[in-house]
Amino acid sequence: MKTELNYQSYKKPVIDTPPATPEAKPTPKITIDGVVIPFQAGDTIMQAAERANAAAEIPRFCYHPGLPIAGTCRMCTVEVEKMPKLMTSCSTPAADGMIVHTQSPKVRKSRTGVMEFLLANHPLDCPVCDKAGECELQDYNFEYGPSTSRFVEEKRVWDDATTKKLSDKVTLNMNRCVHCERCVRFTDEVTKTNDLVMKNRGYKKELSATDEERGLWNDYQGCLTDFCPVGALTFNDFRFHKRVWFLDKKKSICDQCSKGCNIEVHSDQNVVERLMPVFNESVNGHWMCDEGRVSYHTAMNPLRIVSPLLKSKGASKDAALVSTTWEFLFQQLNVVIKSSKKILFIIGTDASCEEAEQVKNWSSKLAGSSVVYFNGVNGVQTSKDDGKLDHLLRMKDKTSNTRGVEALGIQPINPNQVSDADLVIYLRAGRAQLPIEFSSSAPWLLWGVWNLEEVKSVQQKLNVVGLIPGLMTMEKDGSYVNESQLKQTVTTTIQTTGHCLTVNKVIEGLWIK
Amino acid sequence: MGKINTVNVSKKYTFKESLYLVAIIQGMMITLKRFFEGFVLHKKFTIMYPEERRDYSQRFRGEHFISIDNNKTENCTACFLCETVCPAECIHIVADEREDDQNLYGVKKEKKPLSFDIDALRCCFCGMCEEACPKDAIKLSRNYEMSVLKRDDAIYDLDHLKREVKGLKGRG
Ligand code: SF4
Ligand code: SF4
Ligand code: SF4
Ligand code: SF4
Ligand code: FES
Repeated sequence: MKTELNYQSYKKPVIDTPPATPEAKPTPKITIDGVVIPFQAGDTIMQAAERANAAAEIPRFCYHPGLPIAGTCRMCTVEVEKMPKLMTSCSTPAADGMIVHTQSPKVRKSRTGVMEFLLANHPLDCPVCDKAGECELQDYNFEYGPSTSRFVEEKRVWDDATTKKLSDKVTLNMNRCVHCERCVRFTDEVTKTNDLVMKNRGYKKELSATDEERGLWNDYQGCLTDFCPVGALTFNDFRFHKRVWFLDKKKSICDQCSKGCNIEVHSDQNVVERLMPVFNESVNGHWMCDEGRVSYHTAMNPLRIVSPLLKSKGASKDAALVSTTWEFLFQQLNVVIKSSKKILFIIGTDASCEEAEQVKNWSSKLAGSSVVYFNGVNGVQTSKDDGKLDHLLRMKDKTSNTRGVEALGIQPINPNQVSDADLVIYLRAGRAQLPIEFSSSAPWLLWGVWNLEEVKSVQQKLNVVGLIPGLMTMEKDGSYVNESQLKQTVTTTIQTTGHCLTVNKVIEGLWIK
Repeated sequence: MGKINTVNVSKKYTFKESLYLVAIIQGMMITLKRFFEGFVLHKKFTIMYPEERRDYSQRFRGEHFISIDNNKTENCTACFLCETVCPAECIHIVADEREDDQNLYGVKKEKKPLSFDIDALRCCFCGMCEEACPKDAIKLSRNYEMSVLKRDDAIYDLDHLKREVKGLKGRG
């Protein structure tokens, strides 16, 4: 049985090339379960197996491709010919000519033994546990574990760490921990914040925040809950919301900063339940930040406006917008657009390349109109203001496509243009800054993803005449250019609720009328 | 459209049948026979429901309930297994954290159902939920009197499900 792991291993296969010179050594090779695999000097047996995509056959708790090797759990033992004992495949360096068996009876017996020890104190919590369904302990027990327990003694219970909030994002249930220390190594080596430690030793070894009062404080806490092989660490935002087997998983990218981390959108019946990072060596590695992880709330916001809004004719500046139909909206907008001489299109830098291009083309057909882009989040105006916020992923530019919009030759906004225009149309996907820093008496049309509160605060400064509901990144196809000029294309992962339309449909609708 | 050929498949009545009288007398004889059986011989085929009730099997699957402990806390931990297994998709659970004061006896239960709805109009009374439940929480009682005045009343909420069910092995 191949266990599906909730993280992806990588390692490109090594091509077995004949030595260039007679003195050079040939590519080293290892035999794993009868398959000869060329590997790179320095690989461990596990990594060599990963190159041949055979690593899923080797169960592991402490090994994670994104973390330093620890070799503490002994679950990954394999039989190596001519070695007297079983070896841990995650920490044993592969050697040329090694013959490895990952499924021999001796190996399986050892894994059963490891499982029995782990389960001795493990609670029978699967029905309550959020990890159930994607739990490595569960999967491995199904494959290797003893089906009965010989443990008659009282189980170890941490009374005060059964449901302990390590921070407002993560909850610890120490009873379920298998002491793999992936989490501790993550805070040591990846975030370098050292905010998790194991205190005490042996039977009493307990995970705890380094500073109990402060709790966890790194910006990547969600990752802890992804790779914790059991349900010891759970993410509060997802905790108890859904059982994982109900989730549809589709790949997308995160639109919360210019990094563009690769993610998987987990949804059920078009309701997004959580986002998880997907391995991409050239973008985010294995991780994503917490801000991005909870960003699906923008799309799922109950206050999000999902039907066209229009202000009745002659109403005062801060009169309420009322819900209308697309037909009526198109009709009214046509009148407004036709009667305007200087239309200014503002494209939020969270719009996709395609959308920006469509708006640009549309503008070129309207005499006197111009297109600019606007970012504004964190004080970022153009991609030159962008920079890293930490050594890992987080970027200063909190929109996903500044570089893509720039590449289309669109210029950044100039406040004078705003005051000049007699109609301003602002398209954004829920992330670019609200246009409250501008002053203008012209009518404004808001377009894209807005929620009620945002519209209200914009209305206090500007004369908003209508709202055209649009789509979030995960609700449409599109391309985004990330911080290192890498263009990533995503497809629709969830269907939008409500009456939101794509940019293309809106332009077509206005054009035809 | 051309003419459609039809065939008459009804059979021709014989002379005896075409009189009808014979059939009427036969029918009246049956009525008369039942009249004697009921009124004179007191032979009954119906029961005087609701004063009288039929005795159904102990394994009869009727209206659902959720078992409770001595503190009237539901045994359900909102594991969603019943929702997963239900073929009629009529169980809808919203889970939440169980607060400490609901953990009497010092047994830490992390999770509780915030709401637990069963749409009895969709339920096919298969008993799969009962089968799947790891906590023996959801059960089907022997109550078959489930008529309601409004459709809404047929959606059982947690309060209704937690009602006390008396009788053999808690099966009412
Ligand atoms: S950690 Fe895994 S095995 Fe343990 S209770 Fe949770 S799902 Fe079950
Ligand atoms: S909390 Fe999870 S990741 Fe950390 S040591 Fe325990 S099992 Fe491993
Ligand atoms: S009896 Fe069957 S159909 Fe009814 S709630 Fe239970 S599982 Fe669903
Ligand atoms: S299977 Fe039992 S414990 Fe689980 S949600 Fe249903 S009633 Fe509750
Ligand atoms: S995975 Fe090798 S010892 Fe834990």
